[in-house]
Amino acid sequence: MDVAAWIALFSPAVGVAAITLLGHRITGAQAGILASGSVLVSFVASVVAFVTLAGRAEEDRSEVSTLWTWLSAGDLEVGLEVLVDPLSVFMMLVVSGVGFLILTYATGYMRGDAEERRYHAYKALFVFSMLLLVEGGNLLLLLAGWGMVGLSSYLLINFWHERPAAVAAGKKAFVMNAIGDATFVLALFVIVAQTGVLGFAPVFERAPEALGESTTLSVLVALGLLGGAVAKSAQIPLHTWLPDAMEGPTPVSALIHAATMVTAGVYLIARTAPLFELAPAIHDLAAILGGVTIVFAGLIALVQTDIKRVIAYSTMSQIGYMFLAAGLGAYGAGMFHLMTHAFFKALLFLAAGVVIHALAGEQDIRRMGGLGRELPWTTRFFVIGALALAAIPPFAGFFSKDAILASAANAGALGWILWTLGAIGAFLTALYTFRLVFVVFGPPITDFARDHLHRERFEGPLAMIWPVTVLALLSVVGGFLQVPGLWHLVDDWLHPVVESIEEAHGWVAWFSALVALGLALAGIALAWLLWGKRSDVPDRVRAGAPWLAAAPERKFWFDEAYDGLFAWPVRMVASGLGRFVERPLFLEPLGDLGTGMRGLSGRLGAVQTGGVRTYVLMLALGLAVLTVVFLAVS
Amino acid sequence: MLSTALVFLPIAGALLTWLIPWASARAAGGFALLVALAQLGLWTVALGRMDFGSGALQEATETPWFEDLGVAYKVGLYDFSLWLVGLTAVVTVAAIAYGTWAGRERPRAYFGSLLFLAGATTGVFVAQDLLLFYVFFEAMLIPLYVLIGVWGGARRGAATLKFIVYTMAGSLLMLVSVIALGLGNGTFDLTELSASTNHWIFLGFMAAFAVKAPLWPFHGWLPDAYREAPAEVSALLSGVISKTAAYGILRIVLPTFPEPVDDWRVVVLVLASIGLVYGSLLAFRAPDVRGVVAYSSLGQMCLIVIGLFAFNDSGLTGAVLHMVSHGLVSAGLFLLAGAIERRTATDELALLGGMARGRPRLATLLITLSVIALAVPFSVAFAGEFLILNGIFAVGWGWAVVGAAAIVLAALYMLRLVSAVLHLGQGEAVNEVQLDLRPAEVAIVGTLAVVLVALSFWPAAITDRVFGGEPARAVETGFAGRGGEASP
Repeated sequence: MDVAAWIALFSPAVGVAAITLLGHRITGAQAGILASGSVLVSFVASVVAFVTLAGRAEEDRSEVSTLWTWLSAGDLEVGLEVLVDPLSVFMMLVVSGVGFLILTYATGYMRGDAEERRYHAYKALFVFSMLLLVEGGNLLLLLAGWGMVGLSSYLLINFWHERPAAVAAGKKAFVMNAIGDATFVLALFVIVAQTGVLGFAPVFERAPEALGESTTLSVLVALGLLGGAVAKSAQIPLHTWLPDAMEGPTPVSALIHAATMVTAGVYLIARTAPLFELAPAIHDLAAILGGVTIVFAGLIALVQTDIKRVIAYSTMSQIGYMFLAAGLGAYGAGMFHLMTHAFFKALLFLAAGVVIHALAGEQDIRRMGGLGRELPWTTRFFVIGALALAAIPPFAGFFSKDAILASAANAGALGWILWTLGAIGAFLTALYTFRLVFVVFGPPITDFARDHLHRERFEGPLAMIWPVTVLALLSVVGGFLQVPGLWHLVDDWLHPVVESIEEAHGWVAWFSALVALGLALAGIALAWLLWGKRSDVPDRVRAGAPWLAAAPERKFWFDEAYDGLFAWPVRMVASGLGRFVERPLFLEPLGDLGTGMRGLSGRLGAVQTGGVRTYVLMLALGLAVLTVVFLAVS
Repeated sequence: MLSTALVFLPIAGALLTWLIPWASARAAGGFALLVALAQLGLWTVALGRMDFGSGALQEATETPWFEDLGVAYKVGLYDFSLWLVGLTAVVTVAAIAYGTWAGRERPRAYFGSLLFLAGATTGVFVAQDLLLFYVFFEAMLIPLYVLIGVWGGARRGAATLKFIVYTMAGSLLMLVSVIALGLGNGTFDLTELSASTNHWIFLGFMAAFAVKAPLWPFHGWLPDAYREAPAEVSALLSGVISKTAAYGILRIVLPTFPEPVDDWRVVVLVLASIGLVYGSLLAFRAPDVRGVVAYSSLGQMCLIVIGLFAFNDSGLTGAVLHMVSHGLVSAGLFLLAGAIERRTATDELALLGGMARGRPRLATLLITLSVIALAVPFSVAFAGEFLILNGIFAVGWGWAVVGAAAIVLAALYMLRLVSAVLHLGQGEAVNEVQLDLRPAEVAIVGTLAVVLVALSFWPAAITDRVFGGEPARAVETGFAGRGGEASP
């Protein structure tokens, strides 16, 4: 089993190395096959690990396998090790499974791009990083995967590196994530200082005694971890990088969002649940941030006009649900939503990719319309994804969102407050999702769409169609893993690792489910009234109360605030130090007239070479005299 | 014998390079390269023979020099010095190979000087006698003066002058300290020095090392020297020569001056923290490739000093690991800067850009080295920084917070460098005719990158093999090895 886990981990790394070293000797298509093939190997190995694990007794379903010591200092020793347990295998299946589908799709989507090879190498690197993150057998390797994922997403976001927006977005994503890495690493320092170890099991074992419950230490640890989780998962307040990350090619968006990167924060909270449970206040904070993000991102999604950005904000909002669940201790429900979300969000992104491609790269939904008739299959897939996202039964999203809300309904007063946010979110989700559906696919067709539509790429390459089909199927049936009142396969599977809180029973459960469903249906109905029938109400509202639309359109001014609070001061301080400290105090003394005056100072420098010789001579003489003196003395 | 050979093989090679009338530049460079490779070979022999469990001095040779003064020619290897000798050998090979490939005027003088520099640097790492240490420490300067002063860029004169004034000032103070400490002890033998409480002697040593590393605010020479020296000399300067200062702190200052170290610790940590942030901020605004790498080096050296002054297992181990990884990565980056300058005749970021298109090898290597330099988690640089900051966290959490902030700043300046060179539209100085990296350049820089990636998978290759497994105790006992008595 541990062999399978190692193969799953290193197979994509081998893929990256092969593509990099072979370079021009292989074609782009071959590189694509190498990349997706290596991820397929990971998936098969993950399945093997899953089957093996399932065949064992519950208490034996956790195994750490160490290759060698990765880092050591005195008593601290950290192994290069993987942890195979139900939680990591669950994540491995999602990451490698959905990852494989997306990589296969990408072989069709990127065909003919001048830098196709580089793209496939980055994708495989991404999957390797993500698997390192979920398989890493100790906190330091988890952080290692964490950082590597940030690196791969940086590379992917600015893949089209001649676009200034893409380059800026890549940097922003990396730096935001680096902030999260920094708080994460500080939490690890506290853990090392208090427990002296970094392996999951020993840390969890010693933490209650070494950190204490609700002490400053345990709060700092949880806060540091939460900082990392929030940055990676684009939750408030470290979310601003995610919409910009849409500059990358479409399958990137799918991979970053759906299966993998942004859900890493949820995995982190579930994985380090014992540490969060030592700091209930921070655990609650995670849930609250999630709840606020649900509504916040939902509102922004409502007014965005870029199809990928709408889906990106929707992702933020959905991860809010997962944070809500994980923060309340409903880990099973959170992981369940993580999985179903991986299916339907990947489906939506890939379908949106087809639309964008069919319209020659256009992403503005105001220029789209009437595509339902022109792209029938894409429309069907997109609607399936939309129904799943809006949590309409029997699609997958219904069951997972219901599980989260039912758990919140059973978590006391805070639970009910968050439940309310979640219910509002359900309404907003349906509203913005079907806004997309009606605006993009509903009639009439726009002039722009008629002029630019071309279907060469769609319903052509099989490589693009069948992954989408599989994802559509999973979005339909994936929810039946966990049916309220009947079976809870995800909870049961994760049970040996994390103990989830009970969901509400009886009439509370029915109330929760029906209210959420009613709100979702109301959202769809309202979307039909506003956008399906092309009502002028949205425009009138915009005209009548511009501030109402401006706040979400400007994304509640987070970008501007961060620019003013951090980016601008750092630039100013750096420039000021250069001009007023470095140059006058350190550069100009001793004969340099400043970096800008190369020519002049070059001539001055020539004059001073005499001085140099003198000094060298003096030094040599000094050494000689010293030697002679010492010789004479001896 | 082996320690002696490690030092004098390159020095003998230098003499032969200078004296033999080589027919061509390639021949002189090729010979120098062979000598450097031979030193690397010797080092692997030493690696194979090293007993990493003991932590004691090995391969030691001792010959009395001025017996009545207690001065001797004494050399030997500790496990941690072995890694630094290895760093010297690897970077020297890379530098000479690059210089040979690039072609330099007056090749005999040039390559001879590089070999002499390698010998002197190795000498610093193996010397076990104070005076011998001083001699090697100063001997490094002579080839450096010449290498920058003769083969440097347009403003080499000013750069060299500053370099000399700074380092001479530091060195003279150290000389006084060396003599005072040696005479006071009755011996110059490093392994037999007893602890000193004299703050002035301590400060004399620190002055030299603070200039050489450099530590803020003693870095005035650094930007010019790193900018004006030939690329491979900058690679050696920031990759290897700067490490002699950190090594000096580790080998002489920490074990010999326990009390002054304790008293001055906060001052040093404050200066180093300022330097870390200051260097990172200036790297973020530097207008040229070398400026970014130079100021980043300032920051990283300050970080290493922080690790040393944490003076615990984690900090000391991290400092040694980071010395090696920073040495390799900054050497690689300076060589790449040289490769860029050869093509565009500038390294002004404003004139560069868009070089990734059509140059996959340059892009791959620059990105690889840059992300290692910014210490992306899982890289060997991250491993080193983690240990250093973890060590200083135990001393006071505030220091670690500053260090963690510097991690974010490192991401800012390295990504800025990557984008400005590789991405966006083509800069004024860039055109399609400029080639991708040639096979020789790929072989040289790529080897450094491969070593770094390999170390990223196994940083414990080094951390498991330093200080005989007991870092803090080893330093406190003056590296007496296992079973050694703590110094009184």
